[in-house]
Amino acid sequence: MIKINTRMITKSKDLVFKGLHVVAWMIFIALCIEAGSLVVNFIYSLVNPRVVHNLYMKLDLSDMYEKNRWIFFGMYSFLLFIALLKAYLFYIVIRLLMKFDLSNPFSSFVSEQINQISYYTFSIGIISYIARQIARNMEHHGIDTNKLNQFWADSQAYILMSAVIYIIATIITKGVEIQKENELTV
Amino acid sequence: MPIIVNLDVMMAKRKISLNELSERVELTLSNLSILKTGKAKAIRFSTLDAICKALDCQPGDILEYVVDKESKDDR
Repeated sequence: MIKINTRMITKSKDLVFKGLHVVAWMIFIALCIEAGSLVVNFIYSLVNPRVVHNLYMKLDLSDMYEKNRWIFFGMYSFLLFIALLKAYLFYIVIRLLMKFDLSNPFSSFVSEQINQISYYTFSIGIISYIARQIARNMEHHGIDTNKLNQFWADSQAYILMSAVIYIIATIITKGVEIQKENELTV
Repeated sequence: MPIIVNLDVMMAKRKISLNELSERVELTLSNLSILKTGKAKAIRFSTLDAICKALDCQPGDILEYVVDKESKDDR
């Protein structure tokens, strides 16, 4: 009875893991599309400034562009950088899920990847926070930045999440160290 | 590390092969070679006891403490 229960739990865990893998791939593809579109829009806006009123997801930054081109490029660079970082973050998640072995989960590769995830999450959070503060400052100068809020609204959540992931990464790193030491005890 | 494992020296003195020793002390070959090459981080008393019994020697014949340069500089 107990054996059947353990087998069922392992099976359901495998299923959840596979489901998460699929979800991670979907998010990664979506983020790649977003980052790619933003890059294409950015290059295109350099060549043809008329497109700034209809950028990615019908984003209209023509007001900002007309008031000050450099502010537009600056804010857009933040947008681009955050989108690229998010895509890279999920690339690390996928790389981790591809090589992750549930029967032997503690390895230096896993701890390294989780550490990287925490660093990138923190980078996204802090850059989003800086961008949000700059955008708020811009509003005092009469530049409307409300349309950009959707891109960095969750900066604090990213910073908080990075702290949690960092704690988990530290625990895993310590676990890997202990496991290595155990393996080298004869 | 300042602790040196002289297992190979003792094995040569007793003219015993790694295979034979692994059979006598009931340790796997890979574990014995980890110990022999000095990659081991720790050794159990039970392992030390078995090796000393098999090689008819003292723990000091297998393990040696050598002051390394770094710890010398610290002083």
